[in-house]
Amino acid sequence: MKHAILSCTGLDKPEGSVAREVAICAADTTGSEIICPVLLNRAPARYKKALSDSSLIVVDGCSTRCATKLATRLEAKVHRKVLVSDAVKAADQALESTLSLGPKGLALAQSIVDELVRNLNAPTATAEPVADFETPTEYLVVMHDKFEFRIPVVDYVFNENDVWARVLDGVARVGISDYMQQKLTDISYFDPPRVGGVVEQFGELGSLESAKAVFEIISPISGTVTAVNPAVIDNPGLINEDPSGAGWLVEMKLTAWPQDQELLLDPAAYAEIVKRKAAEE
Amino acid sequence: MGVPRGQIPWFPTIDYDKCNFCMDCDTFCPHHVFERREGERKLAVANPTNCVVFCRACAKACGPDAISFPSKPETIALIKRIREQEAVK
Repeated sequence: MKHAILSCTGLDKPEGSVAREVAICAADTTGSEIICPVLLNRAPARYKKALSDSSLIVVDGCSTRCATKLATRLEAKVHRKVLVSDAVKAADQALESTLSLGPKGLALAQSIVDELVRNLNAPTATAEPVADFETPTEYLVVMHDKFEFRIPVVDYVFNENDVWARVLDGVARVGISDYMQQKLTDISYFDPPRVGGVVEQFGELGSLESAKAVFEIISPISGTVTAVNPAVIDNPGLINEDPSGAGWLVEMKLTAWPQDQELLLDPAAYAEIVKRKAAEE
Repeated sequence: MGVPRGQIPWFPTIDYDKCNFCMDCDTFCPHHVFERREGERKLAVANPTNCVVFCRACAKACGPDAISFPSKPETIALIKRIREQEAVK
């Protein structure tokens, strides 16, 4: 499939200059069309064909994520994402402070493009799920104003960060709560953790994005990621539709169970947290 | 967490050299951790104990990268230490 690249224009920050360079270089390397965010914002019809015929790569310079927010507003499905400020941190080398690109900025842009192209050629690793969890049927319901938050009761445990886990035969399935999916509203992108990656309890299990926020998925348990839900990679909206069931995110092989339970909440205790959080809003 | 929230030093710190007072963090945070103020520093961390332990969403939304949090592993170790001390008592 063809790609189209929507990038930060990058006029007032060094990270923006790198984002712009990444877009140009990635377009040259992959033969993709570049989408100008300013023109897209002003005249979306100009890029209607590019957005419908291509899979979209979004390049943001900083965490303001202007390009992502624009894509979300136009309901464009994002295929891959790059955030330059994260790449700067990961490389642990500050950029030049000038707006025009220096050798460090150029080198970073090239390394981002190299990784992007490598990833484009390799499908997201989504090993098959191994556990067979029953669909929840019983829920606690927390009411707040016109909102109704459903908390499954069977064998779910939660952390205060609105992430659930359920355990079966040494494997845990992990997802986000109904409360969190309603807070995020329409989830447009799931950046999954690496299959095979080792995560400590309260470590990061990738992130979710909506027009409202980036949500860091905080792992309720320690373990090794064994599967990423392929259905959610294809359609992140499934998380909104069924956060406790079909919208699960990852499976993990447990490494510190049952000790991890010490810092987790049962459904009734999590319901109290949801009540408190909803009341604070 | 089984530990009084006041004993867990998890909350955002604003680097005022970087902050551009766009207020994206305050607009996002539903727990009123931040407060808008008059004067040169128009934003402050007014309610640090409202911050959800291990949440870093405001930092992720911060364009100028002006928000930092403590180390997660150190905070986890501290929580476990306090729990053990409380269990001994």
